Amino acid sequence: MVVNQFGQFGALLKREIIENRNLFISTPALLAVIFFVFSIWVVSFVPSAEIATGIEYLSVLFDGLSPLQMAPVFLLPAVPFIVTLYICAIIYLINSLYQDRKDASVLFWQSMPVSNLQTVISKVVTICAIAPVFYVAILFVLHLLAVAMLVALGLTYNVQVAGLGYMFMASVLSLLLIYLSAITTALWSLPSIGWLLLFSAFARKTPILWAVGVFILLGFLEDFVFGSQYLANWVESRSNPQQYMFFEFTDVVERLFSYDMLFGVVVGSILISGAISMRRFID
Amino acid sequence: MPVNQLIKTILSNRYVLLLTTLTAYLLVVVAEGAITGREARLLDFENPFFDLNIGDFEEFQTTRSGEDPEVM
Repeated sequence: MVVNQFGQFGALLKREIIENRNLFISTPALLAVIFFVFSIWVVSFVPSAEIATGIEYLSVLFDGLSPLQMAPVFLLPAVPFIVTLYICAIIYLINSLYQDRKDASVLFWQSMPVSNLQTVISKVVTICAIAPVFYVAILFVLHLLAVAMLVALGLTYNVQVAGLGYMFMASVLSLLLIYLSAITTALWSLPSIGWLLLFSAFARKTPILWAVGVFILLGFLEDFVFGSQYLANWVESRSNPQQYMFFEFTDVVERLFSYDMLFGVVVGSILISGAISMRRFID
Repeated sequence: MPVNQLIKTILSNRYVLLLTTLTAYLLVVVAEGAITGREARLLDFENPFFDLNIGDFEEFQTTRSGEDPEVM
């Protein structure tokens, strides 16, 4: 019975990946291609002597240093990918339940032996844990290509490239850091995920306008009617990137088990429960 | 059963369900905010690489306006 349910859930995750492969695979792949071509284009303008000096500098910089300590250095080139992941996550969440109703595929899925709970949870798991895997995998390929290019250039200009091994290890560890950071950020953003899913399940048209409009309206109403700003304070108190981003592995436990994180999970669960119940209404 | 009747009413249409979910969300957030005295903490962003404190920026503006009235 449990094995069967895991099988069903696995099939739902596979469905999400196949239906949204443009958001999860094509987009980061395209970004990686642009990134790589742009890097080669920039390198083509640099004089040969400076390329040799640069590779030697990189090799010496990383040589013998702990990859754990140097991993955060590679977070900077990953920023465009992380930002793209966030944008794709918003597009995915706001459309996921809405699109099912729009193209009437919800009727097919409700005729299958899967519950609304499993369907909505599969969407949450997809965006929290599965989508970052693809982004990290594509970043890994990009790092691999970059190191191969540096080694090839080093051999061409007869430069010692032993330190590039350390650099590669640091870049691989940085991918783990990026993945853990993406999961922590997703858990931190669970109220936002729940909010988008709720309006994706509710709205007959333009779910993004509903989600943003109601959010702003509630804030204004609280301020005008009660004269308090609990909602605004709650949002602002959770908007500091330091609360969910981390630059060292030792910060993972602290971020995951903080009071604000757990309270956010509770609030997110309320909104996700609303989205699960809302899925029963088909246009 | 009144509870069953309540659940039936909540699930009767999408607007009631949305209103109920938003009410539960608001109640939890407002109650927690009132109990813990939550305040906005947007302004600090410290990390191993650089420090950003927008609160200091406001202080900086005040200091500037105090020293040089033409700026503000």
